Formats: sequence, C-alpha cells, structure tokens
Amino acid sequence: MGKILVHVGSQGGEAKRSSLEVLSHVSRKIAGSDDVVVACVFDVNPGRLEQTIGEYGADDILMYMDPAYESHLNGVLAAGLEDAIRATAPSLVVFASSESVKDILGAIAVNTGAAVLPDVVSFSAGSGFVEAVRPVMAAKSLARVRAEGELIFVSVRSGSVEAIKNPKNPGTTTFEAPIKPADLKQQLKEIIKAADETVDLSEARVVVAAGRGVKDEVGKRLVEELAGLFGGGIGASRAVVETDLFPATAQIGQTGKVVSPDLYFALGISGAIQHVAGMSNSRMIVAINKDADAPIFEYADYGIVGDLYTVVPLLIEEIKRHK
Amino acid sequence: MKFLVCIKQVPDVSGNVNSGRMVLNAYDASAVEAALVLTEGTDSEIHLVLIGPDSAKETIRKALAMGASSAVHFVSAESDSMDSGSIAAQLASYCAEIQFDIVLCGKQSQDTDAGLTGGMLAAHLKLPYATNAVGLAYQDSYDGIVVTRQGDSGQEILQLPLPCLVTCSNDMNNPRIPSLKGIMQAKKKSIDARQFENNSLSSTRILNYEQPAAREPARMLEGETEEKVTALVLALVQESGIF
Repeated sequence: MGKILVHVGSQGGEAKRSSLEVLSHVSRKIAGSDDVVVACVFDVNPGRLEQTIGEYGADDILMYMDPAYESHLNGVLAAGLEDAIRATAPSLVVFASSESVKDILGAIAVNTGAAVLPDVVSFSAGSGFVEAVRPVMAAKSLARVRAEGELIFVSVRSGSVEAIKNPKNPGTTTFEAPIKPADLKQQLKEIIKAADETVDLSEARVVVAAGRGVKDEVGKRLVEELAGLFGGGIGASRAVVETDLFPATAQIGQTGKVVSPDLYFALGISGAIQHVAGMSNSRMIVAINKDADAPIFEYADYGIVGDLYTVVPLLIEEIKRHK
Repeated sequence: MKFLVCIKQVPDVSGNVNSGRMVLNAYDASAVEAALVLTEGTDSEIHLVLIGPDSAKETIRKALAMGASSAVHFVSAESDSMDSGSIAAQLASYCAEIQFDIVLCGKQSQDTDAGLTGGMLAAHLKLPYATNAVGLAYQDSYDGIVVTRQGDSGQEILQLPLPCLVTCSNDMNNPRIPSLKGIMQAKKKSIDARQFENNSLSSTRILNYEQPAAREPARMLEGETEEKVTALVLALVQESGIF
C-alpha cells in the first residue's frame, strides 16, 4: 500500500488518546510489510508530541507547528491536512473521529478526490480498497462498507482499537501552516468553555453520566464527586441537559459526544437509544437506576436498582477505601 | 435573504427501524426550524431540496407545512445507493443554477450518521462553512451570520460572511409541529419534481448489514444497598483496570 498517513489530534502539545489508538493500530497492522506510517500533527508547540508519536509507532512525523493551530478552525486545519497529503502521497489516511475531524473530513475528501468511510469501528485495507464496519441506525445495526480508489480516508471511533506502544525512531520534518486564520473569510470570535469542563469527555478513561434521575445540585455534586475520584469526565443525557443542570457540552449520545471510556457510570439514565448510541462502545458499563425495567440495564455489565441519592454516597465511600 | 435547506427522508430510528415508517431527518428538521426562526416577519424565502424516491414527497410536504416556501424534488428510486459524495455532487450542480445566501443542512442523517454531505457541498461550492451548529443568529454590526458550534473542547463562536453553508445539530431548537393551517397551505405550495440521471459514481457502497453482537444482560447486584455497593466495587477493582 506504500504510505499510510495518520492524523494525530492534539492539544497543548499532548496527543489525544483516540489518535494514539489509531496510530498504534495502523503501525502494528503493517508490521513486517514495506508500508510506512507517516503521522501528521497540527499544534502550536511540539511539547512531548515527537516522543509520544514515536512511541506509538510512526516511521515519519510531519510537524505543522504554528500559532494558527491554537484553536480549531476548519479552513486552517483542512489546508494543513491537504498539504500533508500532497507531501506524502498516501493511499490511505486514517483519523480518529473527533469533532474537529468531522468538521473537515467531507471537505478535504472533495478537495483531494478521496473516497471516505467515516466513524468506523474496524477496518482492513487492501490494494485500492478498504472494507470497514460502521454503526448505523442509531447503532442498532452495523453496516459492512467498502471504499475503492487511489486515495481513501477512514475515521475511527474512539475506543475501537487499542493504544499499545510500538516504539520507533521517526524522522521529523517541521512545517508552517499553509493557510492562517487571517486568510479565511470566516472568523473565530470566541470559545466558550463550561466552568466544570476540565476533563475532555471524549478522552476520559472514566465517565460519570447523569440522567433525569439527577434532579438538583445535590445530585450534581454526587456526580462530580464520583468523577473526581477517578479524574473522570462528566457526561449527561439530553433530558438532563434540557433542565440546565448540566451544560450542553456534557451531552452524550447520537447528537452529542460519542465516548468509549474504560468505565462508564450511568446514573439515573433510562437508556434511550439516542443516548446508548453515544456510549455503547464503553468497555465496562455500570448502571444505577430506580426503575428495574429501565432499558439501560440491557446495555450495562453491572446494574444496581436503587435511588442514586442513596447508592452513590455509599459507592463513593467504598471506592475511597480501595484507592 | 434566501435560504436553501437540504432535507432527506429517513427511517424512523427512534422506534423499530424495520417498521418502514419514514420521517424527515431530525437534524434537517432543526435546519428548517432555524431558517423559519431567522426569517420570521421578513420577506425572506426558504427553498427546500430533496433527493429521494417519489414517496419522499410526503417529507417535503411536512417541511412545507412547517413554513418553508417552495421545494425541488430530485426523484430517484435509487437514491439509497448514492453515497454522500454523489449526493453532494448532485446538490452542488443544483446550487450552481440558483441564487441563495445561506445553505442549511442537518449535520448528519439519522440513518447513516455519516455527516459528510454538508462539508462536501461547501467544498464543491467553495463556501465558508460551519458544522454541528447549536446556535445561529444575525448580529447588528455584521453583514453575515453568527454561528455557535459544538467543538471538541467548548463551543466555538464564528462569524460567517454570506453566502455560506451551515450544518445544524438538533440541539439548536425544537422543530415546530405543523399547524392545520400550515398543512392546508402546504398543499398549494409548488414542488418542482425532476427526474434525474445519477451520473456521479459512488466510491463507497454498503456490502451488507449485521446485527451488533448482543451484550450479556447486566449482572444485577442483589441484597441491601450496602451489599450491592460492596459487590460492585469488588467487581470494579477486579475487572475495570482502573484501580
């Protein structure tokens, strides 16, 4: 297949876990062949990126280091990626399916003439084709899909493949941004972050998610305290976001974020299919709900029927005893 | 101001997807609603475009009943086999023959969840664009439109000059339910139905569908609350790999 380009998402010089999963997976898959994995990364400062990307198996790194990448702006990232694709001439480009990638994937596919398979959970590549599996119909069904062409893009759902170290000593080339924010017609004016949004939900190893069963500030504090024990992210169902108790940025589901942590707590979440579509890829799911018939128990590994206001304080104490 | 809203008819994924019930894609419904809110009380026009089989006309009627002005329907019995790339190419060739200020799309369709068509269409038309919008508003001091989009870390507020393209999240609004008056009026609105040849080849296709592996049912922990919690934490310590 020749060259495979892997886009590594990063922030503040730290590579995202979802991208390291993809990089590691591709690097281990091509072991023993003549294929080469080239990573490209777009950030302001290199931080630990070079070292981390080498540890997870890149043969070469294209470092686009420029203040232009301080904040996400689709035209700026798209131009950088198109530049990396021209420089590498890969047959396959693999991404982690983050919001930033979703924002540019269609546009750069048109601009580079690529065939694209978005948001897959597994894939295998051959000469001139890729076959993949992707969840459809709110994850009720899996579609086996095939793309053909000289250039194919695949974006992979986080948590679908494993990030295992596969150290190499990559060569590094540094570039400036080919397009800067000032070159674009659109302008980024402001970024609003919720005050409690300190942990990136889609990257967190533990997520504690609140549903309609979390009714007030007392319940919210229980969610925060449980998440805090693990340095975990705080999520919410659409129903509870609509009560304004949790910010829209916390929403998990078909509409909101798709998460796949090692451990997912569903507190007072009934388990509507739209919510499940955003978390069913989690490794271990624990559900606590008053209603024994709540659909969430069909997706959970462990279930407790009970009032979360009674169960969670005991749970917090018990976890503290083991930490 | 002229809005072009791209809509799609999809299976109702909230219930049994095999029921055959077809609906207006929920994200597209939010795009229609957003256009209605922005044009309220003005002489702006909301034009719809849909690619789909003859039976998708009822979805166009629904969006017209919500309050859109007119529609074009590219009638194709094979639209299901068109991938995002060929849909976007067809939409782009239509956009080239009409006037518009703002193109709105749903951020994805609720059947395939691919989310590619909007960005592809923007690239074909070389328009500035924003995806996954949760807010859309005019600003007095600015000629274009202000978009709030949900990004990876926080909400990004962007100014987009016209013409532009925006893909809408259903978090943006709650689409109105057509009134009886709206439904009656929609019957008189024109739908320009056009047969078309799909000349663009799809570079991707669906081979088959599979059922996801059924998860084992949850182990329900029994006993007094303290006992349930103790058993749960034991399982977490042994199996989660977090401790």
